[in-house]
Amino acid sequence: MTRIFERGIVIFLLSITLFAGRGLRAQDKLPAKIKASSISVAMIQSDEIKLPAEFQVALYEDLIQQLQKKGGFQHVYREGDRNAANAADLVVLHSTVRGFKQGSEQKRQLTTVAGATSIDVHCQFTDKDGKSLLERDIKGKVTFFGANLRATYNFAKQAAQVAHDNFSPSPGT
Amino acid sequence: MALGMKRVLFAVLLLGLSPFILPINAQQPAAPIKADQITGLAGVANKTKGSITIENGNLRFAHGKTNVDLPAASMQDVVTGNDSQRAIHGTLGTLTMVAPYGSGRFLSLFRTKLETLTIKYRDADGSLHGAIFTMPVGKAEALKKELVANGAHTSVPIQDDANKTSAKVPDAKEQKP
Repeated sequence: MTRIFERGIVIFLLSITLFAGRGLRAQDKLPAKIKASSISVAMIQSDEIKLPAEFQVALYEDLIQQLQKKGGFQHVYREGDRNAANAADLVVLHSTVRGFKQGSEQKRQLTTVAGATSIDVHCQFTDKDGKSLLERDIKGKVTFFGANLRATYNFAKQAAQVAHDNFSPSPGT
Repeated sequence: MALGMKRVLFAVLLLGLSPFILPINAQQPAAPIKADQITGLAGVANKTKGSITIENGNLRFAHGKTNVDLPAASMQDVVTGNDSQRAIHGTLGTLTMVAPYGSGRFLSLFRTKLETLTIKYRDADGSLHGAIFTMPVGKAEALKKELVANGAHTSVPIQDDANKTSAKVPDAKEQKP
């Protein structure tokens, strides 16, 4: 009876050590966040793709709104803002549209499966000098509910999440 | 001599009355155009209903008791486009989508055509903004003409704008590198 009890304690202690070790390894794997307290958002570029002006502007405005809401930056500057010149730890976000398919809200509502609108955007975060810090391809899509411009909102939400996960005003947190 | 005096008096009379004549000939502000501000106008919430007028070289968006002025000279690009929305939109429109026997799908066939007016402008700090308005068909092009006449810039020449934007949308296909 005592031996069984002792063995139970040994197994319990071993399992605790094992899980604690795993936890530490998992923490080691988390990438350290890049220090950035402010971000400047450049106007969306679409040199290769024919993108209607309202989509370009909606992408830009939604991106700024979502970064202000969820990005975790102290300041979000627009392109051309003179105040950004004095900002410390500034990151610049360049977005280039790589793919665009304008669907139809009517088709979506009639068929449920057709008429999706999607936008593929390549996002590049650089420092003030233009050195690339992070690059991601992000897709904005509207498949059922909402107007075509909702795709820009979905893209902006994801981009703000990427920024939040990779940048922080205090380094490594 | 008397004829000369009469001419002088007539000229003085004309000069004296000229300040009263000028305001009559001055351009009257056009009637307000009902428009929805979709996004981007500083100080206005997204999807706000209001009206647009052009006064003293400014685009004025009025909603409720608030007016927001946007100088035409600050506009870097003004572009018009076409769009459509469900005849029954908003919360009621969303609710009709779950209506029984496919009636929601049937109702989605009824759509209202719209025009969009997209404006890129810079504020006092040099920051770039973008604003999108939707309005009834036939209004956007006239507004654009008036804005350009007041100093706004456009990347699409006025005569080509309607054709180009309407042709652009069906051509838009997915393109990948």
